[in-house]
Amino acid sequence: MTASFVTVFLPCLLNVVLALFLSPLCEGIMRKLRAAIHSRLGPPITQPYWDLLKLLGKEDLRSTGGVVYASLPALTLGSLLLLATLVPMGTAAPLAFAGDMIVVLYVATMSGVLIMLAGFASASPYASIGSSREMMMLLSVEPILAIALSVGAFKAKTLALGGIVNWQVQNGPSISMAIGGVAFFLALQALAGKLPFDIAEADQEIMGGSLVEQSGPRLALFRWAIWTKQLVFAFLLVEVFFPWPRVGIPLLDLTITMLKVLVVLMLVAVIDVVNPRLRIDQAMGYFMRVAVSSLAALAFAVIGK
Amino acid sequence: MINVVRQVETSIVILIVGSFVSLLLARRRRLCGWVSFAIVCVSSVSIWLAVVGAVTGPSHEHAILSVPQLGSRLALRVDPLSAIFLAIVALIALLSTLYSIRYMDHYVRDNVAKFFPVLLLCVASMIGVLVTTDFLFFLIFWESMTLTSYFLVTFESENAASQRAGLKYFIITHGATLCMVAAALLLWRTSGSFSFEAIRQTLSELLNTRPFLAHSIIFLFFLGFATKAGILPMGDWLPDAHPVAPSGMSATLSGALVKLGIYGLVRLFFSFLVASPSLSIWGIILALAGTGSLFAGTLTALRQIDTKRLMAFHTIGQIGYICLGLGTGAYCLPRYPALASIALAGAIFHAVNHACFKSCLFLGAGSVLYRTGKRDMDKLGGLAGPMPYTAGTTTIASLSIAGVPPFNGFASKWLIVAGCILAGMRFPLFLVLGLVALFISLVTLASFLKVLGAVFLGKADENFRPEEVPISMIVPQVVLAALCILLGIFPQPVLRFVGSAIQGVTGIPVSGVDASRIWGGLSLTDGSPVAFWSPLAILAALAILALISYALQRVGGARVRSVPVWYCGEEHAPATVRYPASSFYLPFKHAFQGVYPTGKVHVPKFPALLRRVLDFDQWLYAPTVKIIDRAADRVSRTHVGTPQIYLLWIVIGAIVVTGILLWVNG
Repeated sequence: MTASFVTVFLPCLLNVVLALFLSPLCEGIMRKLRAAIHSRLGPPITQPYWDLLKLLGKEDLRSTGGVVYASLPALTLGSLLLLATLVPMGTAAPLAFAGDMIVVLYVATMSGVLIMLAGFASASPYASIGSSREMMMLLSVEPILAIALSVGAFKAKTLALGGIVNWQVQNGPSISMAIGGVAFFLALQALAGKLPFDIAEADQEIMGGSLVEQSGPRLALFRWAIWTKQLVFAFLLVEVFFPWPRVGIPLLDLTITMLKVLVVLMLVAVIDVVNPRLRIDQAMGYFMRVAVSSLAALAFAVIGK
Repeated sequence: MINVVRQVETSIVILIVGSFVSLLLARRRRLCGWVSFAIVCVSSVSIWLAVVGAVTGPSHEHAILSVPQLGSRLALRVDPLSAIFLAIVALIALLSTLYSIRYMDHYVRDNVAKFFPVLLLCVASMIGVLVTTDFLFFLIFWESMTLTSYFLVTFESENAASQRAGLKYFIITHGATLCMVAAALLLWRTSGSFSFEAIRQTLSELLNTRPFLAHSIIFLFFLGFATKAGILPMGDWLPDAHPVAPSGMSATLSGALVKLGIYGLVRLFFSFLVASPSLSIWGIILALAGTGSLFAGTLTALRQIDTKRLMAFHTIGQIGYICLGLGTGAYCLPRYPALASIALAGAIFHAVNHACFKSCLFLGAGSVLYRTGKRDMDKLGGLAGPMPYTAGTTTIASLSIAGVPPFNGFASKWLIVAGCILAGMRFPLFLVLGLVALFISLVTLASFLKVLGAVFLGKADENFRPEEVPISMIVPQVVLAALCILLGIFPQPVLRFVGSAIQGVTGIPVSGVDASRIWGGLSLTDGSPVAFWSPLAILAALAILALISYALQRVGGARVRSVPVWYCGEEHAPATVRYPASSFYLPFKHAFQGVYPTGKVHVPKFPALLRRVLDFDQWLYAPTVKIIDRAADRVSRTHVGTPQIYLLWIVIGAIVVTGILLWVNG
């Protein structure tokens, strides 16, 4: 019992705390960077925390009743925290025994589904349009994630993420994994809901899309979930595709990984600032091309590169 | 010790006798329904006892009738493979009969004599198909299953669409039956026997001596079974037949009947062909057919706005998944038995799961149809409030078919996809097929989010508030939804059952799937453990994390207030600004427009001469009638009604008769 407490529960707690409390910070840094490129002063880095705090205390206005609708924000954040325990974040994934790469993909989808359901259930036509667009983005991005991760699975001969990471650490860079990593990075932009792919939220067109009817603590939880999502996927990208250097000292490894994650998120923020929003059909065409090109990674993997 | 075969025989007899009983009671709708339900109940319990018996101990063949002249005998046997499918058939038949009792109320013009008795016969023949070990009787049961289901599909006699769909079903499935008859006769000519055992031996001999003939026979069998299973392009009957059948029948059709095609494929490839090296090639063909079917079927489903038609296309898609799993299993079986067992277990488990969630979905669509009279999703909306049970069960089944963890659809899709990706490490084609399957699972999700969003979520119209359906229609839906959850969280017992079936059929132990632990969940081994899924651990973690999140949500003590939807300051009735189902995912639907080619069948012109020759009315009846009519007219002119004229006739007659007599006498 104590053994499982140390090996499972504590790392779970670490990942959850990391995901929960680091994600607003990352968002704050991204906002600051955005302001710097705009030649603005920008909000303080801690602003997202204050946003969350303020939202948690505000009145909760609901357009729809029902237990299921009431539980959607908590389930959404919960499912993303669950994702955090399935993904290696500096250390091995604590719940790796309970879910492999396919489970990770499906749990990631689950969080998207919950947000979309919240959108449809809130009975606002804007939210429905947002949810419909969100689904289309998911449809275009998910194949890329699946292809990129299955390249790793193909190379490492296992579906367990931990196994893929270990293989990658031991064998060093390869062409196929590099292509996979780039494809994954391009998909990350859409997963994080950043420009040019913030089509599902599109504040200027459909006023936040799925979340238009959410307010107060519910909005806080959804926001938090979206920030957590971008952080967890950045961790996944860094750990699976660029895990080097691995020194072997847990704390140092964790710090290095976090720095890499920060670099990735900064890149995302830069792309976000310098791009206009695409239309949904343009975005789908773009990701279709990315998906087809990322099949090249598979081809390289098959010939052993 | 239960005598397994005796149980099955009893239940078939009960069903056949019961069908006559329910025919006698057909004038009273409800009574007829309840009696039929009682009959199916008894026979289902008997079947389940048989299933339990088949799992716990070996079953013996029991011969009833022997026709030595033809080399055939009616012998029944229950092995674990048939037991799985028997369990499905018994469950779905029971629940759809219970559901139909009240559902049939809304067919005012059609008599239930055309429904319940035929349904019982259909169930009896499905059971017969599953337990017979002789191809002649297999075909007899198969044909009676096809015929009875045809009558059930065409139940609405005044609905032209249903008659047309029924005709299509009749023609296509009989084409398929013809293929199977041809295959069986070709084999019979060589071996002189119809029994499965003889077929197995003959087939393996033929594969060595006359490979072309053997592969043609396999292809004919494949066509026959694949048509019933609904694999494209042969499964084109399915999207027409499912929507027009009464919903209880749609559920039986999709949940149980098409599974018998899968049962046939498993028997054919894994029992008859198991030792042959050509199994790998057939595996690739099966996997490609399955992938094509899941791709085209699901993408077409996304475009539908008729609830039941959408679900019918998803049946094609999900059968595609099963077929992909079977194909991957068949490819791997000769070389990598561990991988084969993963894919195969996934396929058969998916068949079980599909029976649960697809039947639940059809029943849900039926409940909506029963209360609102509509299948068009553009005209529905906000039914979650007035029909909470139907909405809840349909949501669970939708998430399940879309493979959202931890529902049962996920567990089996996970096995199939993992099997494909692992097989792809040896033969990369399967990796691509696995990725297609992953992508399509997301399309399934999109499609069912559309159903949920358009039919159940949102606001209902103020002036139209349907009631929830009666309890006898809710119970089947709730049972199926509960099974979706239970099988998702505890897949281990079913997988062990499936494992024993695979071992029984192929003779190879299930070494790839470790389903022995409840808490640790499933793990797949391919040399070393390579894939993991523990529903209980994931669910526990999710529950704890969601509770933490909820605590965070409540930490500020925010007040909750109910407000109307904000339409940017304008006032609208919810129904006027509802986002209609046909608007969902428009750009995506445009991108995949041509995946399911549709074409009108042009009926060939009937030769004019033949038409005239066959038109008896024109040259035989009408002229004859005219002549007789005219003659009668002449005769009737003599009957004018005046006594004097009649007297005159008598006098004239007397004179003529006297004249004739005088002339004759002398």
